[in-house]
Amino acid sequence: MNIDLLKVLLKRVLSSLIIMFLLISFMFVLLRLSPGDPSDKFISPQMSPELAAKVKESFNLNASIASQYESFLINVLQGNFGISYTYRTPVISVIGDYLPFTIIFALLSFIFQISLAFLLALLSVRKLDGFVDRAISKLSLVVYAIPSFVIGISLILVFSVYFRIFPSSGLASFDSASFSFFQKLSDYAGHMVLPLITLSLGGTAVFYKYLRDNMVEIYNKPFVLNLRANGVSERKITVRHIIPNAIGPLISVAGVELGVLFGGALITEVIFSLPGMGRLTINAILSRDYPLVIGCTFVAGMLVIISNFAADLLKTTIDKRLIKDMLN
Amino acid sequence: MRIKLFLPIFLIIVLLFPSCQKESPSNQNRVIVGISADPESLNPLFVLSFEEVNISDQLFLGLVTQKWNDSLGIVESAPMLAKNWNWNKDSTSITINLRKDVSWSDGKPVTVKDVIFSLDMYSDPDVQSRLYGTFENFYVDKNQHVIIDKTFEVLSPYKFIIKLNKKTAPSLFNIDFPIIPEHVYKGINRKNLVTEEKNIKLVTDGAFTLSSWNKNQAIILKTNKESFLYRPGNISELIFKIIPDYNSRLLQLKNGEVDIIDHIRSQDVEAIKNDSKLELKSIKGREYEYAGWNNIDPSAYREDQKIIPNKLFGSAKVREALSYAINKEEILNEFLNGYGDIATGPVAPIFKSAVDTNLKPLSYNPEKAKKILNEEGWKDLNNNGVLEKGNQEFSFVLNIPAGNLLRQFAASIIKNNLKAIGVKISIQTLEPSVFFNYLLDKKINAWIGGWVVPIPITLKPYWYSNFEQFKLNVINYKNSESDSILDKLDKSTTIKERNSLLRKFQRIVYKENPVTFLYWIDNLVAYNNRIKNIEINPLGYLHHSWNWSFKD
Repeated sequence: MNIDLLKVLLKRVLSSLIIMFLLISFMFVLLRLSPGDPSDKFISPQMSPELAAKVKESFNLNASIASQYESFLINVLQGNFGISYTYRTPVISVIGDYLPFTIIFALLSFIFQISLAFLLALLSVRKLDGFVDRAISKLSLVVYAIPSFVIGISLILVFSVYFRIFPSSGLASFDSASFSFFQKLSDYAGHMVLPLITLSLGGTAVFYKYLRDNMVEIYNKPFVLNLRANGVSERKITVRHIIPNAIGPLISVAGVELGVLFGGALITEVIFSLPGMGRLTINAILSRDYPLVIGCTFVAGMLVIISNFAADLLKTTIDKRLIKDMLN
Repeated sequence: MRIKLFLPIFLIIVLLFPSCQKESPSNQNRVIVGISADPESLNPLFVLSFEEVNISDQLFLGLVTQKWNDSLGIVESAPMLAKNWNWNKDSTSITINLRKDVSWSDGKPVTVKDVIFSLDMYSDPDVQSRLYGTFENFYVDKNQHVIIDKTFEVLSPYKFIIKLNKKTAPSLFNIDFPIIPEHVYKGINRKNLVTEEKNIKLVTDGAFTLSSWNKNQAIILKTNKESFLYRPGNISELIFKIIPDYNSRLLQLKNGEVDIIDHIRSQDVEAIKNDSKLELKSIKGREYEYAGWNNIDPSAYREDQKIIPNKLFGSAKVREALSYAINKEEILNEFLNGYGDIATGPVAPIFKSAVDTNLKPLSYNPEKAKKILNEEGWKDLNNNGVLEKGNQEFSFVLNIPAGNLLRQFAASIIKNNLKAIGVKISIQTLEPSVFFNYLLDKKINAWIGGWVVPIPITLKPYWYSNFEQFKLNVINYKNSESDSILDKLDKSTTIKERNSLLRKFQRIVYKENPVTFLYWIDNLVAYNNRIKNIEINPLGYLHHSWNWSFKD
């Protein structure tokens, strides 16, 4: 089994490398073909044409796309994504400023989504088609349909403006540097509540729907009836049989969702002024910061691949037969 | 089971409790300004956007500061690091005495060495500063680098002479640049500075010092109590809070989480006026919008730089007709709620002594527009509702940048206005950087654009006939008479002479309608009325913020 697992790993690493190569190559070509010039914003009205030409030259965009691509690939292979035009620092260090927050935020949201969805699904299936089940199902549809900016602004209105319970934006208070460890922790937690809810509600609704349907399906399977007939308690059936069987199909969806979250949550980041990858990527695209766009794409792509791979591995630990499927 | 469930809930409540105390500026002696984007730099060598310059100006002082004289509508220079100065007889050199009571935040004094070093750095091509290439009034080498030996004569650590290029018309604006500390930057490889400046701690001499900068969160400035600008009782902290979303900024202003925001949308004006704790001020504009008509055929120019009048917009009479056909008042009143002025030319009404008040806006008159177009040979011969001249139909694409709500609104009004006189247009929205790139590359025929008039008024880059040298003449306006005025403006020394030339220029542009001037836009600023001494004028709302204090 270990050799099989190793084969799966190697196969995945190889395919991931190919995907990443294609992804950044595609981005490179796309950016060079798209209209707009990153040097435009550095041209001042007073500059002479000679100086303006010098500025343009300094971006090294006059060379042919093939030769630009060649030097780009050589640099990337050496782990060098270049210098961001906007931040004038290496792309890796710019991304390093934004990535930790995004990863923590995405993981927290992911845990929140899964936990809440589980809780709600369990409540629903306790009495199928009962009031609670119908209420949660309808509510989840409504929540899923509401755009996240509406949820975000509404939460700010209720919890920041009227009740003044949570801060409306930012990651920490201005004075947080002088706080004790626990005060800092509480400060961060307070700032994260509304963004987490905003980011997570939509995903929770999706996970809930999957879990509930899976659970209902499994509840109707003959082996559950058999267990009941043998006098096994409902609690034991749920914990030992229903939940493990219901999780399987959810894991693939969860892998994709986690990958999407890692790519950044633009709307939530903008509404709550959070320093995430979504904002960084969009600003890089709008300002034609080519090296940074490619760096962000690379990181987002890597995280999607990793999270999907992690999901697949998790599935194999639940059902070992899947390794053979993955090898094929 | 219940205890197990209760415990995490209890922990969460305990953890969140202290954060429930909302961050409010009113508790402290601080002012919080809501801004839309995090600056890329605060180093005066590299700041680029308005917001970056505004924040950097709180940290670094120049030799002089600007003051707005509202009665005359002019900008005047006042002493800052320079205690006083004397021009020589022909205004080609200036003797400056520096203040002796100014120190950098690391304790070292600010001296002539710093002034000389700053000019050397700003003009050095290796540094790539934002001011590079703008020192034409100084003696410069072929790389535009200021020749220090020829420019400066040091009389003492606090007294020196600056000699300016005799062939130009220098003014105090030429020496208005923030001074940077020589001892911090002198050992650094200038070529690497552009990528390494962020690792260098900012050593400042302004009214504030940089306390902290949490990327994409907030920039906290603290009052510099050693500064000669410090007054006990004034604000102690100036915080720039980054809030990208306009609605969130507005909400936080109303909620008391921020004290000041600008660029208030006109639809929110009433709500702010009705809020007893808020004050609304409009900064009369230096920013105008126009409907741009490419005066030449863009494709012919791109191919072999041939200048052929544009088939649609090449005639001044046609452009005049288009100006009559557009209902500028409707856009101004409907979208901007009247917070602006109809524009007649590129000199803002706030420059009272330079603007030609005899020029009246071309008021909405579709009948007159139709008549002019008819006289120019544009007639609807096939009765399809669109004018023709020969085989040419009067139809074109009007380009606007994406995300600009005012221009979207204006485009739809213009579309309807022009349809009424038989001109067919379709609106194309372009991503802003694409839009700007197309303008510079002369790829589009018609658009809605806007410019901010610099202080002092600078027209040449936008209106001079040499299209290659002045790329910002995006409409490709060509007029030898206006060129000679712009040349003279470069050499004029007296305010009277300058104003007379500026008025003459406006009259030519008014007659020729190279673009349809739409309106000057007011910048609406809302602030918490607990703050007093805010100077809101065309120089901005952060001007001299060290004078701000709080009402009792």
